[in-house]
Amino acid sequence: MRPHFALARISSWSALSKIFILSPVFIAFFWCGPRTVGADSMPANSLPQVQLDARNAGPRTLENLTQQNIGRHYANAWQNLAAAFEHNAPTSLSDYFVGAAREQLGQAVADQQKAGLHSRYRDQRHKVDVVFYAPEGDIVELHDSVECDFEVFEGEKSIHHEPAVLRYVVLMTPSADRWVIRQLQAVSQF
Amino acid sequence: MLVLLSAGLTGVCLAQGADLRPPAALTAGQPTVIATSGSGEASFYLLGPGHTFRKQVHLGQEIPLGIDQVRTAGRYLAILCSANGCRSALFYVTPASPASLSFLAHPSRVPVKQLDAISGVAFPYDKFHNLVLAPVTIDFQLKSSVGDSISRPTTTQNGVAWFRANSSNQAGTAQLVAAVGDLSVRRVVQQVASDPCNLRVKGQRTAKGILVETEPVRDCSGNPVPDGTVVTFTETDPAGKSTVDMPIKQGVARAQFLAAGPAIISVASGVVMGNQLQLGGQ
Repeated sequence: MRPHFALARISSWSALSKIFILSPVFIAFFWCGPRTVGADSMPANSLPQVQLDARNAGPRTLENLTQQNIGRHYANAWQNLAAAFEHNAPTSLSDYFVGAAREQLGQAVADQQKAGLHSRYRDQRHKVDVVFYAPEGDIVELHDSVECDFEVFEGEKSIHHEPAVLRYVVLMTPSADRWVIRQLQAVSQF
Repeated sequence: MLVLLSAGLTGVCLAQGADLRPPAALTAGQPTVIATSGSGEASFYLLGPGHTFRKQVHLGQEIPLGIDQVRTAGRYLAILCSANGCRSALFYVTPASPASLSFLAHPSRVPVKQLDAISGVAFPYDKFHNLVLAPVTIDFQLKSSVGDSISRPTTTQNGVAWFRANSSNQAGTAQLVAAVGDLSVRRVVQQVASDPCNLRVKGQRTAKGILVETEPVRDCSGNPVPDGTVVTFTETDPAGKSTVDMPIKQGVARAQFLAAGPAIISVASGVVMGNQLQLGGQ
């Protein structure tokens, strides 16, 4: 009887430990709150951290998979934007920016290069609210509050450095295989 | 403390001193000046969302900014670098009044009598293609070819307005219009007949067998179902069953069966069943 009892105890401990080990996995799997994309520690040009909250999206409900895709593609877009401004490389904008957004940012990068400047967005943390998702699912509007370390250089000399809080109104539309940014407009407040 | 408070109130972020004074509020495409104080030469930089430039300036003089330099709405960073270091200030440019509308209408073709089947989304833009975020009333109108019309004024929220409407009872083109002030954008929605309704078949014996044809096929609102819509005829006789799919031509569908004995003819289109026809043998 005794060995049997011991075995039963071991078995129940094992089950208990599995519950403890697996519970964060279950919690993570079923967590329906804001979704975060990106790394915790962020060197320059790493994938920015994006926390997307779609609870206020409407009139159409944003499906989980679409939400994940938008968050991932938005993070990629900002990674490309940061690279474009840091290295004066407007071609970095091609993948995730189209239309007016592509033209304006491309012009800003070209002008910056002409003026002998480059700028750096580091440690980006984006808190993004989805405020509109069109009835047919063909356009989404985001409100993004970005906290980042923003620095402007003339050559190698830093001429401006601030811990910035930037706010953007963003329009994204689906293209063949990704969500792209059509409008990226900074505002002083939402 | 007082300096910090006043800087915060005007939205100006100063890195050092108070030598750079941008406008507190600025509309896109509105020329302005940035005031400077001090004396001597300095390098001035303006980093805007659509335009960046550098120029040499005399401290104490105003730096003019033209229409093209402040045409894009967003955050502008002005930096002034002199022998004493660099100072910076922020200002925001807001969009001008609406000059164009981006209007997405769905679908281009819709069956009649469908609830919330037509939708429109409109974004107002100023003449510099900045999204106008201040509330604007957009009048959505749906006008059918037979004269039905609905109008739904909607105020934009966060730069967007949208509406939904039912399709009308009658087939034909409908115009979906989004208007703000004198500005309007038009889209055409084709409203087509819905599924056939009261599908009826008649038939007669001929020398070659049985010739069957439908009465003019219409939907439940009386709209003719478009030519090309497929109607399925089924003939059952003691020898078995035969089926033929025929498209509607000029409003009716016809089929011929080679059956000499008594037969039952049935007809269907999509999910709609028609009447059954019993014909005796020759």
